[in-house]
Amino acid sequence: MARRFERSRRGVTATFDDDERALLSGLLSEVSQLLDDGTTPSEDPLEAMVGTGGSTTPPSDPAVARLLPQAAKDDPDAAREFRRLTERGLRQRKRDGLERARATLERPGPLVLDAEEQHAWLVALTDVRLVLAERLGLRTDDDAEAVLAEVAESSPEDPRVWMASVYDFLTWLQETLVGALAKQLPRG
Amino acid sequence: MSTAPAEAEERVEALDGETAKPWVTIVWNDPVNLMSYVTYVFQTYFGHPREKAEKLMHDVHEAGRAVVAHGTREEMERDTEAMHGYGLWATFSKDA
Repeated sequence: MARRFERSRRGVTATFDDDERALLSGLLSEVSQLLDDGTTPSEDPLEAMVGTGGSTTPPSDPAVARLLPQAAKDDPDAAREFRRLTERGLRQRKRDGLERARATLERPGPLVLDAEEQHAWLVALTDVRLVLAERLGLRTDDDAEAVLAEVAESSPEDPRVWMASVYDFLTWLQETLVGALAKQLPRG
Repeated sequence: MSTAPAEAEERVEALDGETAKPWVTIVWNDPVNLMSYVTYVFQTYFGHPREKAEKLMHDVHEAGRAVVAHGTREEMERDTEAMHGYGLWATFSKDA
C-alpha cells in the first residue's frame, strides 16, 4: 500500500508497492505520449529554442485540449496567435515534467524527491488527473459528483470503475503532496 | 474544484491601485483541481500570502472564475501560459 507524500529531512518522501509503481509509471508515460503531437522541433533555431511555431487550432482530443486550453475566450485571433507562440513549448515542458516524475520511480527504495522532482510530481499528477477526468466525463463540479456516484453503483466490468478508483488514488496522493509542500511556505 | 472544506465564502476585495491596468488574467473553475493545489499555485506563482491566495481560490470556486492578475497584455499572456503549465484553465482579455 502506498504511503503518503511526507516532508522529511531528506526532502519529500513517499512509498509505493510494485503495482503502484507500475501503474503510476504507465500513466505518466501515457499522458506524455498523448502530448506528443508527432511534430519534430521547428527547424528555425530560435523557434525551436522558445517552442514557438506550433499549431494554431485546439487539439482534437478533448483531454489534450484540456491540457492545452484556449487562452482567450471571445477573441479567436488572440487564441490562435497565443497557441502558435506557446503550445509547442508547453507540450514539451509538460512532457519533460511527466518524464522527470516517471524517472524517479525507477530508483530503488522509497521515493525521495528533490525540489525539482517535487514540482514535477505536483504538476504531473494534475495533468494525469485532468486526462482521467476528461475520459470519465467530469467537466463541471456537478458532473463530478453525479458521475462518481453513478460509477460507484455500476458493475465491476465497467471500465470507468477502475478509472474512477485510479482517479481517487491520484487525488489522495496529490492532496498529500500539496500538504507536504505547503508546509514549507511562509505563513501569513 | 474538488474537496471543498465547509468554510464561509468571502469576496476578494478589489485589487487596490491595479484597476488602471488594461488587461487581466482570469482563472476558471474546474472540477479536478484541488482547492489546496489552487491555493498553493496562487501562493507560489503570484507570491500571495496564504490568506489572499485562499480568497482568490474561493472566488474561482464559488463564482466560477476570478481575475487573478492585472497588467499589460504581455504580462497577462505570460501569466496565462504559466497557469496552463500548472493545469489551471486561464484566459487573458482586455479589462471590461
